[in-house]
Amino acid sequence: MKRRGRGMACMWYPIGFTVAANPSSAVVKMNEDGTATLLTGTVETGQGSLTILAQITAQELGIATDDVHVVSADTDATPMDTGAIASRTTYVTGNAARLAAEKCKKILFDVAAPMLGVKPSQLEAKDHKIIVKGFPQRNVHIGDVANHARLVTGEPPIGSASFNPETVALDPETGQGKPFGTYVYATQIAEVDVDDETGEVEVLRVVASHDCGTAINPMLVEGQVEGGISMGVGFALEEEILFDANGRQINPNLTNYIMPTSLDMPEVEVDIVDSYDPTGPFGAKGVGEPTLVPTAAAILNAIHNAVGVRIHSLPATAEKVYAAIKAKREQQPRQIGTGVPPAGGQPVAQ
Amino acid sequence: MAQNTKVADKPDVLEQPEILRPPTIAPLVTFPLEVVVPEGRQQTPAVGQRATRADGRLHGLGQTKYIDDMYFPNMLFAKIKRAGVASARIKSIDTKEAEAMPGVMAVITGRDIPCNSFGPSLKDQPVLADTRVFHAGDGVAAVAAVTEQIATEALDKIKVEYEMLTPVLDPLESLKLETPGVHAPSANVYGHKVIKKGDVEKAFAESDHIFEGTFRTQMVEHVPLEPHATIAQWDANGRVTLYSTLGRITLGRADISRTLGIPMSRIRVVATVVGGNFGGKNEITTEPALALLSKKTGRPVKCTFTRVEEFIASTTRHPLVMDYKTGVTKQGKILGRKIRLVLDGGAYCSWSETTLGKACILSAGPYNIENLYVEAFVVYTNKTMTGAMRGFGAPQVCYAYESHMDDIATALNIDPLEIRLLNVFEEGSLSPTSQKLHSVVVKESLLQAAKRFGWNTNGNESAKTNGGRS
Repeated sequence: MKRRGRGMACMWYPIGFTVAANPSSAVVKMNEDGTATLLTGTVETGQGSLTILAQITAQELGIATDDVHVVSADTDATPMDTGAIASRTTYVTGNAARLAAEKCKKILFDVAAPMLGVKPSQLEAKDHKIIVKGFPQRNVHIGDVANHARLVTGEPPIGSASFNPETVALDPETGQGKPFGTYVYATQIAEVDVDDETGEVEVLRVVASHDCGTAINPMLVEGQVEGGISMGVGFALEEEILFDANGRQINPNLTNYIMPTSLDMPEVEVDIVDSYDPTGPFGAKGVGEPTLVPTAAAILNAIHNAVGVRIHSLPATAEKVYAAIKAKREQQPRQIGTGVPPAGGQPVAQ
Repeated sequence: MAQNTKVADKPDVLEQPEILRPPTIAPLVTFPLEVVVPEGRQQTPAVGQRATRADGRLHGLGQTKYIDDMYFPNMLFAKIKRAGVASARIKSIDTKEAEAMPGVMAVITGRDIPCNSFGPSLKDQPVLADTRVFHAGDGVAAVAAVTEQIATEALDKIKVEYEMLTPVLDPLESLKLETPGVHAPSANVYGHKVIKKGDVEKAFAESDHIFEGTFRTQMVEHVPLEPHATIAQWDANGRVTLYSTLGRITLGRADISRTLGIPMSRIRVVATVVGGNFGGKNEITTEPALALLSKKTGRPVKCTFTRVEEFIASTTRHPLVMDYKTGVTKQGKILGRKIRLVLDGGAYCSWSETTLGKACILSAGPYNIENLYVEAFVVYTNKTMTGAMRGFGAPQVCYAYESHMDDIATALNIDPLEIRLLNVFEEGSLSPTSQKLHSVVVKESLLQAAKRFGWNTNGNESAKTNGGRS
């Protein structure tokens, strides 16, 4: 019989490296028409980080995402970056990009101030314009300022900056210190069906409530969460590299190393927790790795809730779950006629 | 070729001798050149917009160029000979027969690498194993040939003589001192971390209940869609360009410079759009060997890992053995927790230091625990090296601390949500390393997830709310 269970898991996860410096540098330059280029040494590995960096740069300059072209990942052309690792791109590289854009904007303000007859400190960049704060009708198009900067004042708008999270080394004896700049938090709740005659687990639904600070791009956050959950389902139930007695892998291929496919994916509901981190770019932290962290834990707790067995090693394959159910039944003398299910799980109507 | 309709005055091309057949060319993909920019990309303010990715259109149209799509004139193809034994001393490598094969342009071994060691923290990993094999996926020689097939055939012609050694495969065995060192004379334990806060034994004495649990996790692969791939191009100025799937070009260039013994200014690393990383592409693999093959032949050299190599010769996730002991009050408040973690570090250190540190710090969970003792070890085994993988030990410890939490809740008959709300961090809470935490929203995430799920602490509500879906 299929038995339904639910399980929750919460987690915390740091952004950036453990104590070790992990700086990022960035260069932002504005073209004469008000579009811009961001140079970054980070690598787009499929997560959409370059789009996030474009959005951060655009926000600082008051232009749109599409106005920022990102040049990345060429050691000849781009400044150093610690790379696409440790969920650090939005927070660390994002901070560097924002600071570089801020420096570029400062040049634009210096140029625009006499054009508008005010001090640079009275200006803001918004909607492709340099605007006098509080007097939105007193403005000049950002492209005109950039062009003026090149043709008249001779100060092409360009800025470069670096960022490194603030940390304090850990005491070697007690491990006390400040290893990371910031952390994110999340909860995932899984609902599963466990077939108590075969041990097969089907993940029906995962509700994922994630903190990433400000969501620079909610769609990309959702994408990361969905991808992380698929990886978590594999970690929980299927994936395992197996070795023979001589230390050679016996399943190094996609026929025998079982991974979740789209058919194994549960219904995923992503919920972004309202949060703002003053140390992040526009309040953002990060989301890459944490999306996978609580998934297996939630699924394993749901299995426990469904059939009352605790699986002490991953993955919870059907064989392992069935063996645990069987062992539990053998321990408990069967109560004939009580109709009481073996654990808290609800029988599922077929 | 359009359908199977034969043109009357031409014989069917398939009936022609192979040499006369026109090459099969995929039809040209046509796509609208006038790009319509989606609204989200055009709006200000930019932050918060559901902006589509700049590379999304290229991906959608199949126009993204991955390294395997790139070709340079006169390019050669490289293959790596894998040891296939987990622990051995290399007595000799004979490459003569392979070198004599028509189409084979160069063969190199570990002895050709100027400085044959690298690694993000410990420099314990060779580019190609020269004297010792530490895991079955170790490369022992690299071949560059005019085709991939010839390079693959040449691998069989390379004769390696091994003196077999007994592999160490179990991390707990490796932890014991009497086990012969994997990297003797270095100790098997190559990383050790402790977090100590309060007095855990005193807390246990004051607890109403003590719970214990042991949890283990397995080794898994990143399995990116795009395997590791590199093209190396050594030019006549002695400058080498590497198109690579590296996720960290700054570190990659430093490692390439060190292993080849050439200045960084002579190395250009270009990372193309990477088809999935998940931590698996954070360090160099065969880049220095390919650079040398290119130098030796004066031609560009490409190497793309097979799926098997992706499993056996790239990094994997650390298996962990995790022992938890927790003292709680009757109400479910955690008073003290003691944790021991043993990480199977595989054959080389790679990102084990980082994984050890994060696993150690995160292992207590997002909970206020005043009395804590965590001790974590990472040990060498003769297995595939474990390294960076999405979460750096966090998914493993989360599985343990959250399973343990539910076991405590079940035993005390407290709802899983309630016991978490009772113990989780709040704004200003001190972490296990006594860091004052800011922008803490773990409680909010618990409550929001519970609300959205329909979690009723008085009973199993979910079966009711989703009854229609079963």
